Amino acid sequence: MKKKKLLCGILAAAMAVGLGACGQGGDAGTGAGDSAGGSGNEAQNEAGGSYDQVTYAYATFNNIPTEEDLDTVEEAINVITREKIGVEVTLKPISIGDYSSTVSLGLQAGEKIDIFESLGDFNNCVSTGMAADITELAEAHASESKELIGQEWLEACTSEGKLYGLPTYKPIALTPMVIYRQDIADELGINMDQVTGVEELTPVLKQVKEAYPDMIPMAPVQAGDLGLNRTYGEYDTLTDDMYTPTGVLLGGEMTVVDLFSSDIFAEKCRIAREWYNEGLVMKDAATTTSMAAELMSSGNYFCYMAAYSYPEEDTAASLSAQSGGLPTGAQIIGDAYLTTGDVNALTWMLASNTDVPEAAMKFLNLTYTDADVINLLINGVEGRDYVLSDGYVSYPEGQDASTVPYTAQLSCGTLGNFFLMYPNEGTNKDSLDWELEQNKTAATSPAMGFTFDSSSLKTQYTAVSNVIKQYLPGLMCGSIDPETEIPKFVEALNDAGYQEIISAKQEQLDSWKEANQ
Amino acid sequence: MKTAKRKKKNDFQKSLPLLLIALPGIVYLIINNYVPMMGLFLAFKDYNFMKGIFKSDWCGLQNFRFLFATKDALTMTRNTVLYNVAFIVIGTVIAIFIAILMCELGERVRVKFYQASMLLPNMLSWVVIGFVAYAFLNADTGFINNTVLAGMGKEPISWYTYQAAWPLILILVFIWKNAGYQSIVYMSSVSGIDKSLYEAAALDGATKMQQIFQITLPMLKPTVITLTLMSVGRMFYSDFGLFYQVPQNSGALYDVTQTIDTYVYRGLMELNDVGMSAAAGFYQSIVGFLLVLAANALVRRLDSDNALF
Repeated sequence: MKKKKLLCGILAAAMAVGLGACGQGGDAGTGAGDSAGGSGNEAQNEAGGSYDQVTYAYATFNNIPTEEDLDTVEEAINVITREKIGVEVTLKPISIGDYSSTVSLGLQAGEKIDIFESLGDFNNCVSTGMAADITELAEAHASESKELIGQEWLEACTSEGKLYGLPTYKPIALTPMVIYRQDIADELGINMDQVTGVEELTPVLKQVKEAYPDMIPMAPVQAGDLGLNRTYGEYDTLTDDMYTPTGVLLGGEMTVVDLFSSDIFAEKCRIAREWYNEGLVMKDAATTTSMAAELMSSGNYFCYMAAYSYPEEDTAASLSAQSGGLPTGAQIIGDAYLTTGDVNALTWMLASNTDVPEAAMKFLNLTYTDADVINLLINGVEGRDYVLSDGYVSYPEGQDASTVPYTAQLSCGTLGNFFLMYPNEGTNKDSLDWELEQNKTAATSPAMGFTFDSSSLKTQYTAVSNVIKQYLPGLMCGSIDPETEIPKFVEALNDAGYQEIISAKQEQLDSWKEANQ
Repeated sequence: MKTAKRKKKNDFQKSLPLLLIALPGIVYLIINNYVPMMGLFLAFKDYNFMKGIFKSDWCGLQNFRFLFATKDALTMTRNTVLYNVAFIVIGTVIAIFIAILMCELGERVRVKFYQASMLLPNMLSWVVIGFVAYAFLNADTGFINNTVLAGMGKEPISWYTYQAAWPLILILVFIWKNAGYQSIVYMSSVSGIDKSLYEAAALDGATKMQQIFQITLPMLKPTVITLTLMSVGRMFYSDFGLFYQVPQNSGALYDVTQTIDTYVYRGLMELNDVGMSAAAGFYQSIVGFLLVLAANALVRRLDSDNALF
């Protein structure tokens, strides 16, 4: 009996120890994570210097580099920042799919993130208090960047008179284009220059279908998106996400309207339906998990529609590389239109709980003004991660984006100042001028600078966004019949509180207009 | 008095090793299940990053409103509950059926093989299963449209917009994934039944079917009740992967695939609103808790030996 008891005791003790060890293992793990993140003052003391520690969290479209490879780049940046602004930087690349949730959960948990990007969620970052008010900080420590970006764009990152971030400085004017297989167009004698709008695309698609019955002429950009929503013309979602627009401005008017009851929406749906019925688009476009580039490189598709900020030739060249080197052409089918959402979709913000606001602001400023810093960020270390010839960058011999130790090239339109980055081999330096020109000359929404505060309408937004997700992909890809479904869609929207959102938008827009006259 | 005290002390001493054995489990429960309950505060707060969990402003039941704001509330609650009822009933029947077949088979090697192959789908993630289903159902290249329907000379069907088929598809997929796993518990119960009962029945001239219906099934009753009670508690939850990944998030199917979990996910993906998601979780667990209490009360009334508590 006694023996048995003893055994029990030992067993229990053994298990308890086991658990303790596990617990410790866990602790050690998080501890390592913290110090890697450069946790606050401790890390500062450990580093020995008196430099402020700034963590810069950015989204990457590539695989995450290893700790050592990242350290090399950080060290190279720190050499510059220590001297210039007395700051040491920790880079925190986060995969694009997890970016928003990682940053928001990280900030909740008190993780060290000082600088982050809004990634399409400007309003939310402001209304939940994630982003700090930087009106004065920016004035004091980032006046060069402010000057560079210009008042009009800064307006777009302002809410109730307070500045909450700096927009990425890049070619922002997105021009709708159709991206097509050059070889097939040539072979069939199709002159793509004639295609200046969506309507003219239909006969082209039919011709391709006839010549290649096994081919699907049009691919979706991604699930539920044939690119038709880029072709509304003068269209401003008033800072809503492009996939769930609620009240919008059409035709440069200042009246908030219901997009889904509009004629232009019905027209686009009709075209999609026609394409679907004639077999001109992928049947599962509304639900596919494949993206355009992937579909195009399968060789089974002729074209897709999307909006790009680079000139036609550059777009075609870079997309050709992405889709496995197939001969690719690009044709503009509409005009660029600038709205607040285009500008503030990628806003660089300071975390409201940052312990080093000034240092963070100074570093953010450098990403707009210091060519060395931004090129280290984007391209990594010269020689190891890229080679430079005549001012153009390319990957070292035999390497590409997925094999070099560090590169953020795929995020090039999202970081700091795009115009300071070395252009890629194969593009043209003149393109930069075209892009700057587009930024300045593109038609601009009359509500440029207006940001909508949706925080009092969260319930309606959630309900409406669910309804939109239910109907919009099917309508935009032609897989449901607009004749019968649009009325149902609009009714469901109204049940979900759609009109309340529209009138709230109109109200805020009116008072914004008054304040800005 | 003294003896009573001593007895108590003695009891404690006796159970101390047992408690020690249970300790890791208890610690795990506290860390994993009780500490996070602090998050329930969030359901009633207007969460602000600057202020943190406890200092954010209270907002009453504001966060719960979105769950009931539209007609979708009815659809998603109906779908969640009805699918779960179907899964519990059909799943249990099939699991018992498999368990009895396996035990009747008796031969070890083959039983092990069948068991393993039925367990395999359970190890796959919903994403993978979603694509297996996609390979069958794809409108352009799917197996059903291209081989089955074409073979029968019928028109292809655009499955991801065809609502009527989905309740059946979802139940089939669920059974395929879970039946093998669920049958394990029943299998051990069946093989635990005293063999002498069967011998006696056989002597009395009972057929195999009679043995199953008169002995096996009644003996399984406690297991069925316990397992069902446990699933009833999760009646207001749905298997997110099944309802999101398998229908490929197709909007046209929302009427038959929308459950509380997918609604919350879709609605809050954009807003990232912490308070509202906490509210949804809070609502689900409260209703689940009440359902367990109710189901247990019912069982206690009908058959008090088998009630959980």
